[in-house]
Amino acid sequence: MNTKTTVLGQTYQFRDLKEVFAKANEDKSGDQLAGLAAADSRERVAAKQVLADLTLADIRNNPMVPAEEDEVSRVIEEGINEKIYSEIKNWSVAELREYILSHQAGDNELKRISRGLSSEMIAATAKLMSNLDLITAASKIKVVTHANTVIGQKGVLASRVQPNHPSDNVQGIKASLYEGLSYGIGDAVIGINPVIDTADSVKDILNMTKDVMTKFDIPTQNCVLAHVSTQMRAIRNGAPADLIFQSLAGSEKGNNAFGIDVALLDEADELMRKEGTSYGPNFWYFETGQGSELSSEAHHGMDQVTMEARCYGLARKYNPFIVNTVVGFIGPEYLYDSRQVIRAGLEDHYMGKMHGLPMGCDVCYTNHMKVDQNDMDNLGILLSSAGVNFVIGVAMADDVMLNYQSTSFHDIAAFREVMGLRPAPDFEKWLEKMGIMENGRLTAKAGDPTIFM
Amino acid sequence: MDEQWIQSVGIDVGTSTTKMIVSRLRLGRMSSTFSLPRYQIVERQLLYASEVHSTPLIGFDEIDADGIGSILAAEYNKAQISLSQIKSGAVIITGETASKKNAQHIVHLLAERSGDFVVATAGADLEGVLAGKGAGAEKRSQAIQGVIVNVDIGGGTANAAYFQRGRAIATVTFHVGGRLIRLSPQGVVQYVSPNIQQWLSAKGLRIQVGQEIGFAQLTEVAEQLGRSMLDYLTGKERQVSGLLVLGPHLRDSIPVAELTVSGGVGLLMSGPPVQNVSDASRYGDFGPLLGYVLQQEREKGTYPVQWLDPDQTVRATVIGAGMQSTEISGSTVHIKPELLPIKNIPILKLELTEEQLADATRLRQEVASIYQLGERLFEKTTGIPFALAISGIGYCSYALLQTLSQELSEQYRASFPESQTMVVICETDMAKALGQALALRCKGAPEIICIDQVRVEYGDYIDLGEPISGTIIPVVVKTLAFDERP
Amino acid sequence: MEQQLDFLVDKVVAELQKKLGEATEQAPSPKAETGGLIQLRSEPKAEPVASATTAPTQAPVANEQPAPSAEPERTTHVPNPKYKEGLDELLSSTPARIGVWRTGVRPLTKTMLELRRDHAAAVDAVYGEVSQAVLDQYSLFTVETQYDNTENYLKRPDMGRVLTEEGVRLLQERCQKKPQVQIVVSDGLSAAAVDANLKDVLPSLMDSLKSYGLTCGTPFFIQGGRVASMDHVGEILEPEVLVLLIGERPGLVTAHSMSAYMCYRPRKGMVESERTVISNIHRQGTSPVEAGAHIGTILSKMLEQKASGVKLVL
Repeated sequence: MNTKTTVLGQTYQFRDLKEVFAKANEDKSGDQLAGLAAADSRERVAAKQVLADLTLADIRNNPMVPAEEDEVSRVIEEGINEKIYSEIKNWSVAELREYILSHQAGDNELKRISRGLSSEMIAATAKLMSNLDLITAASKIKVVTHANTVIGQKGVLASRVQPNHPSDNVQGIKASLYEGLSYGIGDAVIGINPVIDTADSVKDILNMTKDVMTKFDIPTQNCVLAHVSTQMRAIRNGAPADLIFQSLAGSEKGNNAFGIDVALLDEADELMRKEGTSYGPNFWYFETGQGSELSSEAHHGMDQVTMEARCYGLARKYNPFIVNTVVGFIGPEYLYDSRQVIRAGLEDHYMGKMHGLPMGCDVCYTNHMKVDQNDMDNLGILLSSAGVNFVIGVAMADDVMLNYQSTSFHDIAAFREVMGLRPAPDFEKWLEKMGIMENGRLTAKAGDPTIFM
Repeated sequence: MDEQWIQSVGIDVGTSTTKMIVSRLRLGRMSSTFSLPRYQIVERQLLYASEVHSTPLIGFDEIDADGIGSILAAEYNKAQISLSQIKSGAVIITGETASKKNAQHIVHLLAERSGDFVVATAGADLEGVLAGKGAGAEKRSQAIQGVIVNVDIGGGTANAAYFQRGRAIATVTFHVGGRLIRLSPQGVVQYVSPNIQQWLSAKGLRIQVGQEIGFAQLTEVAEQLGRSMLDYLTGKERQVSGLLVLGPHLRDSIPVAELTVSGGVGLLMSGPPVQNVSDASRYGDFGPLLGYVLQQEREKGTYPVQWLDPDQTVRATVIGAGMQSTEISGSTVHIKPELLPIKNIPILKLELTEEQLADATRLRQEVASIYQLGERLFEKTTGIPFALAISGIGYCSYALLQTLSQELSEQYRASFPESQTMVVICETDMAKALGQALALRCKGAPEIICIDQVRVEYGDYIDLGEPISGTIIPVVVKTLAFDERP
Repeated sequence: MEQQLDFLVDKVVAELQKKLGEATEQAPSPKAETGGLIQLRSEPKAEPVASATTAPTQAPVANEQPAPSAEPERTTHVPNPKYKEGLDELLSSTPARIGVWRTGVRPLTKTMLELRRDHAAAVDAVYGEVSQAVLDQYSLFTVETQYDNTENYLKRPDMGRVLTEEGVRLLQERCQKKPQVQIVVSDGLSAAAVDANLKDVLPSLMDSLKSYGLTCGTPFFIQGGRVASMDHVGEILEPEVLVLLIGERPGLVTAHSMSAYMCYRPRKGMVESERTVISNIHRQGTSPVEAGAHIGTILSKMLEQKASGVKLVL
């Protein structure tokens, strides 16, 4: 395995695969914080050049986090289809990138090849792609999933309505939910981040959302994004959960910091098979985000793009209904400014789709990042053009519980209108029945939350 | 601690019937682990409902206290509940019973015999609201846009409570009940309540004790009584029907979308048809007939209101009392556990305005005038003369806290030097800070109990239970109004 | 007293009627009219929108600074709502920006500008500095972490966890060693949070310590501090318990929110789960004076149980 190259007259010798992978990344404050980033643009290009020539077998044969030490590595390794892998193992990363972008590789071909790829291989291609490469490749892959309803079809931009409330007041949650529904938002999921991590409170919110869904016959799914074990307690107490949620990290240690491991996810999976309230077969909702492993010092000396890809490697074991990268939530020490956030959003979406995952994105930022709402407009449009499965809808983008800004109900309506996208088909029919939408456009009634009172 | 159950009892001693229930209430944590603790009642379960007993009387107007005592003892035994397990609850002395001469005696006897914290409460307003909650009207109001009224018709009175969007907005009480007219099986009138005499005359209806009343005449009285009540409730007519109102009238008529009828008469609405005097008098009064004519009105649909079946009929009040009367104070409080529980503390309200909060002199004057009122109203005592309920404070700065605690404590010590305990109830979340500031100034003379997030009004009495898990205080606010009655 | 019940009731009612009569003559108010309508324990109905905001703020006492008012205005622009009173009810139930209406698929200008205004306040809070007058009022001297500048502070949280050599020297010189309680204040991600809340939280906390009979070391201020700077302070001063009052990452509802992180015997290598936190301390959130009082309770329990974080039983 060659880890040496010359760029602009200077020779670079990289220590190992981890260093090549890290330095090949576009600039991110998180890689700098971890002490892994390229010193300058020239070193970055050198790393990319080395990476381009590595074969897929090189990557597989030199595991950066050995499977013996880490269960996420084991899940990824066990998921590889040996037949497909053996067909392509001698490809260089450059060849893989070109195949992915070629016209001969359509939706089916990419889904097939995906099964022979490890998360690290997919991450490697992302490092060799420009933003437009990431959009072009991702837009070819359609991942259609089914819980109560079907989302992910071509031409569909679904949305999570996120009616959070600073004290989990059920009436207050309902108020934002009505507002969101009146803008045609909520076809992916009605998903609430609770303040109170108790089974009681989770159950109350699940019951309330289910009641609203039943009363108005809304074709969607409900979910409360508490810790998975709290949701499991609520479900065992009879709470109606269409989806079950958990945040994932790309290493066993990172997952332990979240209070989970593969055994617990398996147990939750089993519980949902028995007691979940959606039709399925997809009933998981995962969230990820670059930098979470470093924040718990569980990154094994690896860069945040590769660790993020490993989250998707874990996620695909469970055939989730939706996966969401919460791209700008973690803060400026991982993604400093809008340039880095936009890049990460496109990388995550592409890498998720290459894993065959129903990728959505929480296009978002916190107030201590060099980002504002205009940057969210940009990333939202870019992801819409890349075929993102869903985005997050928050009233005027201002989440009053998590204290960050995402995309608004208005924004999603605009993404749809500008890009010629539609809500999920069942949901659109329902919007028409409620008089909120006609021929894919909001009607005069849209935006009045009291139509649900 | 995420959750905790407390047992609560409800007892309803009515003009004609007596019943009790035992329930358990689950307190759930309603705040994140990063916030100040906050608990609420998140679930209410009915554990035991007694049968409906006839209220034991001595003669016409004296409740047999010992009789009530033995009923309760037997029911506690059947429910397999010991008094020490009961942490909260309410005793309702319904309607006319409360005006009986020994009502006070009964109340205190019940409070003693029904668990350490069980409180005595009476008052048609609270009773009507509790019945409305027990009947399901409060919950129903959350699902509709209009107003729902529940009227709980018992032996002597009918308590109506109006609910809108989950809130009780008004109450009114009528002299309407099954035992206002009592009959022998042969149809001889045994008793006519003096409370309806004026109305009877205004309506030109004649009914006399000793008279053998015909079925048609009796039906006429029952129909008129039912319609007068419905006229008033729906705002159709309030002059003559107003003669039936006991206590305050509604200020304005309230448009009503839906109506439920609970209480014993509510139950009788679904009874068999009443065709003759012997059907009517099967309980020795005209209750079955009153229920029947109301059912006829419902079927005729004369009134522009949607009639619904209540969740509970004869037990609506007792279920409301047992399951809905308890509140929980804010969980950051200043208490001395050994001083709790305390019962029957009258409320003195200090309603502060922005001007008073901004000006120390005006604040001092307001505190002084409220304390003067307290001195005039309440006996000097070595115990607790009143609970001072403070409202009007939104954001409380440390500077305001200092001014407030100084005025409250210094003047209290001057005005009520004998009092060994000062009780303060804040509307907003500030009890621990204020309690602490008061305690630092008073140094135990008096001791300070300061709780918050409980709404009380003038004329209310309040009971504070023993703390659960250290700082969760069950509170029952009693709207006490025995003697407002004419 | 129970025997006096009737008597008392008579008096209360009589006095009440008298008082209400007077009040009605002077200034009619909804409450003063209870003679007619029995108002139950429910919110006053009048003024739907104004009183519907999450936390009514009263005028503070005379020597207060003007209240920072970044609160969104709670007016609705929905032109013909299906259920008008219902809209007020929705608005009163959440601080979220709902009922805002739209032009086409975009927000109205006013709504958009309100959002930008609140974002501006939040960004300013991150880049602001704590007022020296506030620090002087409580005799807090200042030490710095190795953060260097705000940009670096944001990118390198590790540097905000370690005091400068000068800072270490100052602590050694000026602070009482091994105190029972050590109070530390830091700007964190919102200098404005310290400016807004310290004058309420800190004295209330001091009173609470006094009530519990706890003694307190020499309080000071850390500029450019992160939560884990408490570990470094712990190494230097070895307090039994330490509380760090620090500005939170600003949100749009408020840029003035403060957190209190508490720890038993802080030292290097502490993990999150060993710290106890009270967050969201500001005027519209957790009451600052109440938080101060409650922090004292938590610290005393930490001393009793010799534990903090998840091991502490509250």
